[in-house]
Amino acid sequence: MMHSSRLTRRSVIKGGLGLALATTALTTLGLPMPARAAGKKVIIGAFADGGLTPFKQKIIPLAKEQGFDIEFLEDEYGVTLEKWFADAQSGAGQYDLYLLDDPWVPQFGAANVLEDLGAGGIDGTDKDWIGSMIDMGYWPPQKGPRVKGFEDAKPTLICVPFVGDLQTLTYRNDVFTDGAPKTWDDVIAKGKEGVAAGKIKYPVVFRGVSGNPIVTSWYPVFLSFGGSFFDDKWNPIFNSAEGKASADFFVGTMKQNAPSGVVEFDSDQEGAAILGGDAGAIIQYSGNALKADDPAQTKVAGKLDFGVVPKQQSAIAQMGIFIAGVPKSAPNKANSIEFLKWYVSAETQAKLSEAGSIPVKRSAFGIAKPGNRLIPVALQQLDAGALPRPRTPDWAKVEELLGIELNKALQAGSGGGAALDTAAKQVKDYLTTAGYY
Amino acid sequence: MQRAARARKYRLQGAGLDLALPYLMLAPGLTIVLGVLVYPLWDGLRASTRAYRYGSPVADVGFQNYVHLWSDGQFLNSLWVTVKFVALSVSFEAVLGFALALFCLREFQGIRLLRTVLIIPMVITPVVVAIVFRLIYASDAGMLTALSEAMGGGEAQILGNPLNAFIGLVVLDVWEWTPLMFLILLAGLQSLPHEPFEAARVDGAGAWRVFADLTFPMMRPVLAVAIVLRTIDAFGTFDQVFVLTRGGPGEATRLVSIYGYDTAFKFQQTGYAAALFVTIGLVVLALAFSAIRLLRRVDAS
Repeated sequence: MMHSSRLTRRSVIKGGLGLALATTALTTLGLPMPARAAGKKVIIGAFADGGLTPFKQKIIPLAKEQGFDIEFLEDEYGVTLEKWFADAQSGAGQYDLYLLDDPWVPQFGAANVLEDLGAGGIDGTDKDWIGSMIDMGYWPPQKGPRVKGFEDAKPTLICVPFVGDLQTLTYRNDVFTDGAPKTWDDVIAKGKEGVAAGKIKYPVVFRGVSGNPIVTSWYPVFLSFGGSFFDDKWNPIFNSAEGKASADFFVGTMKQNAPSGVVEFDSDQEGAAILGGDAGAIIQYSGNALKADDPAQTKVAGKLDFGVVPKQQSAIAQMGIFIAGVPKSAPNKANSIEFLKWYVSAETQAKLSEAGSIPVKRSAFGIAKPGNRLIPVALQQLDAGALPRPRTPDWAKVEELLGIELNKALQAGSGGGAALDTAAKQVKDYLTTAGYY
Repeated sequence: MQRAARARKYRLQGAGLDLALPYLMLAPGLTIVLGVLVYPLWDGLRASTRAYRYGSPVADVGFQNYVHLWSDGQFLNSLWVTVKFVALSVSFEAVLGFALALFCLREFQGIRLLRTVLIIPMVITPVVVAIVFRLIYASDAGMLTALSEAMGGGEAQILGNPLNAFIGLVVLDVWEWTPLMFLILLAGLQSLPHEPFEAARVDGAGAWRVFADLTFPMMRPVLAVAIVLRTIDAFGTFDQVFVLTRGGPGEATRLVSIYGYDTAFKFQQTGYAAALFVTIGLVVLALAFSAIRLLRRVDAS
């Protein structure tokens, strides 16, 4: 009987294997099952931005009433593009809906990782859409130049506008007492008077961090000076005389009239400067503008008004809408498309407008009581002129190259025109390597 | 006959098991190594020889990505910034770490608490360290600005000035990683034999002579290992820069890790980024081998 109780290699291996199998089985069976969703699950990925506050506070509860179970996952702006692109491309299926920044649409479109929402039943031809906004949802673009490989492709609706954000002017009404300044010269001249009177510390504030932040701040100045970015063959032409004049004005005059540390300013610092009462005027998206009447978020509640961006030649702003795309790997694809159909309906858009967010349907701008003073001004800006950034999948790199050179010129306080020449050469070289010509 | 055959079978099985057992034992570890080390390395090497468009491979380009690196001004700049950053940071950390280790070698009241306090920066998450330093450096609401204004000065311009931002990054790294040097060197000092030091004391050698003729030469291998380890680690610095400056202003603090990250994930040039990281890996490997060879030569002489 002795041998039967002996510990042998065989028994150890058998026992070990048995134990491993048993543990695996128990662990698998014992895993807590995900709770049954309270409704139609939709996992939304978004970057943290004040422009989405009305959606989070007022529309998500409404969606729940409609039977949607919304999971809202937020990340910092600087990491979302790469995170979502990796998710979409690897088919990881972590999200049902991305709330993209509109310049990212071409990258996702070229990689063919988003669902065809037109085929899903969303009508891109509805006349109620703001035309320039729904255009941004198509890849390849319906209008304008197309990158190589997509010249003959049929435009497909891969994204739908979600929040109609665009740049407008926010200004101090106790400094600019005649209403919104019409030109950049007015902004500076009246702003200086405000500084002299001790009402503000700086006439303007903007973002100076290289890359997306500085390009976002410079772009409306560039457009207002009459600049164009690319020609129809994707040759950079932003270093035209108009472009150079705008860059020189931006890194020279505007810097001299902004906080001394503006080179390192991003949206949080520029927001603090305008909401804290230090700056006289700012071109900004809705994120901080929506806080202008809330005494808990600004020291100058009641002193901030909105207007169309100043002009040199024309008053054109940069569009920067939140735009929704459904990844092909979305685990709850049907729910997301159903949610989008409900969300972009004229009724829900009216609710969005009432909640204080900029809608994407024209009818919602006309409601009796929009939830924020910014909304009618946004419509004025749309009518005055608002342009999207160029529709290329390589915009992130172009913006990076340009942003670095602009940032260097901003540090120096001069040489904006030369910075554009350098950036134009770098962009041309890069796009040549990428096979654009 | 039947019993004999059964016995032979068992023996054969036993012998087979003897033969297979080491491999069976090795299999789980080997699978993990293949899965998490060898395959990714192979995949990275393969990616580095391909051109990518919109996140997908479109062509085999051989060593073109590697060749292109050396004419890419942005890469060369980031490499230069990285070399400066590593050289400065590791030098300061080695000197400070050694000095602190020598100081903390002595036994006095409160020394245990002091040793514990000194290693705190090292155990804080790098992202948190970067956020704290951002709050110190910010020109509009930072601690340095508050200090400067309290003394009648203006706003402290750290992150908006290329040189200051670079120095600020080095200071952050020195603050965070000197404790690692300190810890390694203190362990080294504590393991040195007592006899030579006692003999030197009996012979009347001064503190400097003891340090120059005994402590430093005996500590050289430990110091070299600490410097090599820290150098390799510093080449991979990412989190702090990502949070503190994102490589700016301009390109003043753009280390190769940041440039590589942007290239791979933001600009979707996966193949080019793979070539960049393979190149940096080889550079670091070459540095490590050189340091070890140098150490051996010094020991031999």
